[in-house]
Amino acid sequence: MKLVAQLEDLLYQSQQAPKKENLRLSAWRILVHESEAVSVGIKDNSPGSVYTPPSYRQNESGEVFLVWADGTCSQAMVQLPSHNDPEYWYKELEQWRQASYEDPDAAHIPSPKPLPLVEVEDRAIHTIITENDEILFDQVKCWLTDKPSKAKMQGSIQAAWGYRHIRTSTGLTVTYQQSQFVSWFSFDSLIGGGFAKRRLINPQEQKDLWSQVVNRYESMQMEAPTVGPMTQVILAPSMTEDMFRQFIVPNFSGDRVIEGQSAFSKESFLEHTLVFHPQISLSIDPLRPLELGSYLVTAEGVPAERTVLVRDGQLQTPFLRVKDAVRWGAKPTGLPQGTAGLYLKHQAEVPWANALQGVEDGVLVLSVLGLHTQEAVSGSYSLSAPHSLRILKGQIVGRTDVKLTGNFFADLLAPTTKAARSDFNTHPYLIITTGVQTL
Amino acid sequence: MKQKEIQTLVRSVLAEAQVFDGYVIVRAQSRREWSMRLSNGRFERVATGWDSGLGVQAFTRAGAAGFATSDVLEEGVGRKLVEKAIQLAHRNEAIGAKLNLQIWDAPQVKEVGANPSQKVFGEIPLSELEEMVMTLHSRLREAFPEGVWQTSYRQAEEMWCIGRTDGTLVSFVIPRAVLMHQGTVRDNGKAQSTLIHRSGMDATVLFEEIADHVLERKAMDRAEFARFVCSAPQLPSGHYPLIIDYGLAKGLAHEAFGHAVESDHMNESVLGEEGKLRIGLRVARPGVNIIDGPLIGDWAHQPYSSNGLIRQTVTIVRDGVLVAGLGDIFSAEEAGMTVTGAGRAESYGHIPLPRMSNIRLLVDRMLPLIPSEHLMDEVKAVRETLLRHGELREGEKNLLLLGYRGGQVNPKTGDFVFQCEGIIDVSDSNLPIYQPTIFSGKILSALEAIRGGLGEGCYDAIGTCGKGGQSVPSSGGSHRYLLMDADQQVSLGGEHG
Repeated sequence: MKLVAQLEDLLYQSQQAPKKENLRLSAWRILVHESEAVSVGIKDNSPGSVYTPPSYRQNESGEVFLVWADGTCSQAMVQLPSHNDPEYWYKELEQWRQASYEDPDAAHIPSPKPLPLVEVEDRAIHTIITENDEILFDQVKCWLTDKPSKAKMQGSIQAAWGYRHIRTSTGLTVTYQQSQFVSWFSFDSLIGGGFAKRRLINPQEQKDLWSQVVNRYESMQMEAPTVGPMTQVILAPSMTEDMFRQFIVPNFSGDRVIEGQSAFSKESFLEHTLVFHPQISLSIDPLRPLELGSYLVTAEGVPAERTVLVRDGQLQTPFLRVKDAVRWGAKPTGLPQGTAGLYLKHQAEVPWANALQGVEDGVLVLSVLGLHTQEAVSGSYSLSAPHSLRILKGQIVGRTDVKLTGNFFADLLAPTTKAARSDFNTHPYLIITTGVQTL
Repeated sequence: MKQKEIQTLVRSVLAEAQVFDGYVIVRAQSRREWSMRLSNGRFERVATGWDSGLGVQAFTRAGAAGFATSDVLEEGVGRKLVEKAIQLAHRNEAIGAKLNLQIWDAPQVKEVGANPSQKVFGEIPLSELEEMVMTLHSRLREAFPEGVWQTSYRQAEEMWCIGRTDGTLVSFVIPRAVLMHQGTVRDNGKAQSTLIHRSGMDATVLFEEIADHVLERKAMDRAEFARFVCSAPQLPSGHYPLIIDYGLAKGLAHEAFGHAVESDHMNESVLGEEGKLRIGLRVARPGVNIIDGPLIGDWAHQPYSSNGLIRQTVTIVRDGVLVAGLGDIFSAEEAGMTVTGAGRAESYGHIPLPRMSNIRLLVDRMLPLIPSEHLMDEVKAVRETLLRHGELREGEKNLLLLGYRGGQVNPKTGDFVFQCEGIIDVSDSNLPIYQPTIFSGKILSALEAIRGGLGEGCYDAIGTCGKGGQSVPSSGGSHRYLLMDADQQVSLGGEHG
């Protein structure tokens, strides 16, 4: 019997006819993931080394959220029991009861609402998992054949497919299939590229991504003039994403705003304070087809919907889970999945190729060391970026090592900040004026 | 699952693999965890959980590997995983994988490690733990109401069993617990946060804190310091003589040095040459020693490797000279080092990689320092000790870096960065405070700059090692403070645009 079915039986019984009165539930929620994944890696130019062998992974686990008859709550991670003990789930229920705590704002299970149609499954990935995974091995062979001869290559490809089950005591019963394809590669552990969506990468995307990384790797072999105080800094899309992870996600999380642990106060959202430049908007969009941040319904049973966090530079709302929404006095919002599902839009955004041509004196930062150590609430950063690419008169001319010092919120507020669209990433290039020095 | 059950499971999976003309490593793990988080006087979350699973790593006779894992421990899962892993290993051989036969040379080990915890998991009921954590959280909020406080407590018990084709069967239990206070303070329109912790094996951590309130005092001191940092000026970037606390020293030893001596990195390590560890290389001044090895009661304790070998304590640097690396069974020989049982994995579902456990950086030349109860008293004591021993340089800043916020290193280039919570100039009797700023440079230069230690060894700086996308507990330390000379390859800070 599947885990989700076992849990449904258990919780339904505990609500209707519990074994003991103190184990009576008034409401509950179940989330279960069932998935299978296949992956293969490259280490130091070797396919499937002892550290990155072809791998198969099977998983069936989830979490339950319970509201007891006395109004207290419990949360637990769950898995299929490893042995046949008829009392197993009853013992678990007793332990969950022991772990109950008071949190009236959390003790709310939303009623079912119509779900949007969102494409989150690529059947080609299902075929890879169940029938033929040759495509993954072929891709690895192809990478190793085409790589620059002197480069030491690392890489990985993973395809995953499975079911997501959500059940609630209010009547929501949803099961849907979803897939994921993630691939990345790097040369000399200095420069790389990646792709992560709910669909396979198509051949043209693969070709373009490969060309871009190889070209940049070749540029990296040339020393370039050092930066000056007027040099513009361009954050590559993966860097923009890293900045979002460090500075945007925590400060727009509803619980942190409510608890005073965010850069922004609740009042600043209610008053729609201008925090970014008026040309910049930030939103969560879980409805885009086959994007990694897309879903049909949250783990709490809230249908996916677009949510604008910042409109024309002004704060609108943080993202709110059910409990945060109750405390905020609003509806729950769409949620990002890490940084996936977050979209920054600059009204004057142009394609990267056009933006590059307009950069007279710049440095393209592909990665930095130590971003995760920066103070999220202040938005300030002080980072080293060895192996950045120097841009002069619209051309990438070689490698340079720089140090960046600034504040990400100030960057997003500055009228000088521009954005450019990437062909491979949902996050944009950000062209900013910040503290930059030779490392 | 109990230890006996997990051993039975591993034996049964090994039996399934008997017909295979290759080699198999079976890893089973059962993990229980209780965690809770309180914010501003209320429980935000109390969660219980456990997970168990099985991983099978198979090697063809030629040495190609395949890996299969599952957390669905139903009838027949062992056979399914063995078949999958063998099938993938054969396909790997067919695509020209780099072959590795080292596992055949691993010594057979048959050991059952005792559970080292003082209070076994579940001995103290969860409701009692909740009460204790709430008491500690409430006391802190009352004592420092200007801060916004979050308190978390987490205790886990990992039970491992590793079996191999050669008859090896190793099982052991790793208990760990941590209590953390995270505070956010605001001043002058700016916010700063601070995070401090007290770790150990089990709920003893809470009983000790209830008795002595050491963490509470530290939290208050750090929050007060963070408040000063909010309105502190920025330091001009440059190269300064530095004093770093033992948390930062652990970061330096772990990020900037330990990763560079792990056997799987030798092709890309600044401490490797043609794929071999540069044993005999002078990397620091005489008197500097770096040691790695598990300590009982420590956050990162692990007595056996995840490949079923005994974990050794290794002196990596002796008297300033590189003498050994951290080698696992698969890459130690190729890297020119001894197998030290360094393989560790996040879980049964991950491939073990050579990693550190508790790494400590110690210096023969140590100045005595009596620890003070409060942070700023200790900073004064540091200044006085340095003055007494003629260690403060006239006319230049001597900067004390406090509070490790994490770091990162590129082992290939030797570039490192660290971040601290704030900086104090101890050459000035007013002890001015500065904003935290990047501490970066070249790892060999940083090691070469170490000139002495201040105070006895403190090894309880904890963290999580993220190598290879896994999350594995790490720890370490140094003397209470380390003294470093100014070096042109080690710098502090940058300037705003």
